[in-house]
Amino acid sequence: MFKHTILDTFLLIVLCIIQQYAVSRLVIFGVFPDIVTIYIAFTAIRYGQKQGTTYGFMAGIATGILSGSIGTETLTKTIEGFVAGYFYIPEDSHASSRQKKQMYYKGVLLASVIGRVLYTLMINVLSLPTTLHMTYSIGVATLLTMIVAVFAYQMFFKKILVNN
Amino acid sequence: MPNLFKFFSNNNAYLLLLLYCGIAGLLIKFEENYSLKSLLSRGTEVRATLSQGLSEISLYINLKQENEKLTLQNSALLADVIVKGNALRDTASIDRAASFMNNAPVHLIPARVVERRFDTSENVMIIDVGDKQGIEKDMAVLTPDGLVGRVIQVSRNYAKVMPLIHSEFSVSVVSDSSNTHGILRWNGEQEQIAQMHYVPLSSSMYKREKISTADFSTFALRGIPVGKVIEVIPEKQFYRINIELGVDFSSLTHVMVAEKTVDSEKVDLMREATDTGINSSQTDQTNP
Repeated sequence: MFKHTILDTFLLIVLCIIQQYAVSRLVIFGVFPDIVTIYIAFTAIRYGQKQGTTYGFMAGIATGILSGSIGTETLTKTIEGFVAGYFYIPEDSHASSRQKKQMYYKGVLLASVIGRVLYTLMINVLSLPTTLHMTYSIGVATLLTMIVAVFAYQMFFKKILVNN
Repeated sequence: MPNLFKFFSNNNAYLLLLLYCGIAGLLIKFEENYSLKSLLSRGTEVRATLSQGLSEISLYINLKQENEKLTLQNSALLADVIVKGNALRDTASIDRAASFMNNAPVHLIPARVVERRFDTSENVMIIDVGDKQGIEKDMAVLTPDGLVGRVIQVSRNYAKVMPLIHSEFSVSVVSDSSNTHGILRWNGEQEQIAQMHYVPLSSSMYKREKISTADFSTFALRGIPVGKVIEVIPEKQFYRINIELGVDFSSLTHVMVAEKTVDSEKVDLMREATDTGINSSQTDQTNP
């Protein structure tokens, strides 16, 4: 378990760096997907709500230090981990692979939507953004994150979740 | 108390969330705090360093493409400079020629140099006017700066010109101050320097005297400037005089062809005189 925690934490930090230096440059329609959210949701679904929340908190700190807005990032990522934890699949679960896949997608979708809504609200609340801009930003960013989540599931998480 | 523990154990996920959110809230509140700011600024430094490294790597990877792009840009700019430079030179040359033609006493036909070979002693050039425009053999070719040469061959639309800097070219010239006559030839050495021959030692030639075509010429009308005296060297019987030519042949683009003014009767008479052995040293050596 400890070995897993160390490995997951290391992977999380690496993903935060990749997010900041590589993925954040893949700007499409003004926004970009969030691989850290995908990983937080994945850990929450795999290990449970408490672990998901803790990983979200750590990811928020790391991303915040790199991006410069530590408080906002920590808050949103923590909440992302928490909400994704509602889709936790216990190790002794008898869910089918199809059900697990659905859980994974639902977890990522909810985490992404809530994370983006919170982030956009916190960033834009003082600059009085238009409703249209917020809806656009949240919708497209969530869509992009979900697209990446599909790829991540097919390539990495499917095997792990189905074998649980 | 047991109820409190039960509450904590049942709701520990919520409490954890509350704790983390509380910390996040404190971080938001104290984001402007000095110690947190210094931590964030270090993070920014790390980010900037990594970004710079990544940019340099990407720059290095794209160096070939960048070089190709710059080469293309250079080519386009060079082409632009050449085209615009030519247009500017042509405009200046045409303006000068037009002004000269308006004030010239004879009819001059403007022409453009379309081909030239100035790399051997037998230099020639081709101009874009010919028989169709009224060009005839032995017409004088000139610019506002001075005499360029004479037409030696004419086709329908082009004419071949023997320039002054040709080893077989010669023309009668006269100096403006001392009115000394001589024959101008080019010795095939320096492009800008020709020699004035058959000037007797008794004549008084000065440096910086201006030289123009003489009335004795069988193709050039009188008074076309040729150049100025830069060196007067006395020899056995005659002076050897170096003339700096007025025309810069290296940048010649537009010329004018002067209509023939020399009487053909005079030319025939000169030819007869040459045939009968009369000394014709004061006539053009290239006359037929």
